[in-house]
Amino acid sequence: MAQVAIETTQKFLPVLRVTLGWMFLSAFVRRVINVPAKLNPQSSAYVGGKILTFLPHAWSPIKGILIWVLENPTLLYDFIIAFTALEGIFGLTMILGLFTRLSGFVLAMFSWGMGLAAGWLGSTCVDEWQIASVEGAAALMFMLTGSRWLSIDQILYSKYPEGIKIGKMRIPLW
Amino acid sequence: MRTLEIIAIIFMLIATGVTFGLYQINFQGFTNLTNYSKTPAYDLSGTRLYSNGTLLLNVTRTAGPDTYGGFIVLVQILYPNGTVLYQWTGQQLGMLPQSDIINKFPLHPAKPIHIGKYGVGILAPLGQNFVVKLQVPFHIKPGTYIVRVYDADGQYEAYGTEFQVTVTVS
Repeated sequence: MAQVAIETTQKFLPVLRVTLGWMFLSAFVRRVINVPAKLNPQSSAYVGGKILTFLPHAWSPIKGILIWVLENPTLLYDFIIAFTALEGIFGLTMILGLFTRLSGFVLAMFSWGMGLAAGWLGSTCVDEWQIASVEGAAALMFMLTGSRWLSIDQILYSKYPEGIKIGKMRIPLW
Repeated sequence: MRTLEIIAIIFMLIATGVTFGLYQINFQGFTNLTNYSKTPAYDLSGTRLYSNGTLLLNVTRTAGPDTYGGFIVLVQILYPNGTVLYQWTGQQLGMLPQSDIINKFPLHPAKPIHIGKYGVGILAPLGQNFVVKLQVPFHIKPGTYIVRVYDADGQYEAYGTEFQVTVTVS
């Protein structure tokens, strides 16, 4: 009976999974397709400027890193490109339900990391904290549930129910 | 089954702990709820005044909306009793040359804002730290003075902190 209950729950997980993935994939789309100027250090729309607005009340251990990155424009650019690419990749894999557990872990770390840097911002409400906490908790949940319905992991699971094995260690990517 | 339930509870506590922790770190939500995005605020630490009348106004914009403002429209040097020794209005601040404002970070620089010949003030983007070079046209006697800035909303105080600093001229 317990097995059946888990299956039922799994079928409702895509309700959240696609929205959660899109939060990250859309960040990639906005910067790469909609407004490429966001990735141009010469443009006033450059997202590097956002990092500057995080500074005043960022959690102090993170603040030092932000200042260091802001004082090194090349480093800042590399960081933004890498972060944008990873957001795109793991946002997409979350939507597709591919390596859902890994994607969930990575997205939870992104969300909570952002919460420590930008979490104090929110001119409408306590906006950035709400985003970081809800996305972080949701992503962590997918790390624990995986995805067994409307997902690529579902196919991988039916073919390789044991997951990946390295020696005796079983890595549950799906 | 027992192991599964323990794992579930541990992760529930982790996620809830992060949520509550971030609420406290970012907004002091459980003690003294503060949203720093509401009103602009400035910190003047590092400001220096010299007897030849040079004021190196060191400003950090520490609060307020991330996408707009703030605007410094009045800079005052005051005696400790509150009388104004000298001041610069938005008209003068907005007409300063850009070279008199030195930004710490290249992105989102602070700059003088003017509409034609009408000076408005100094735009101070959130997070930026900058030094404004100002010159009082006379010598200043040794002593203690207060340097204060006003935001365009007419205030020199937000979140219980005044936008001013005490400086000593030797």
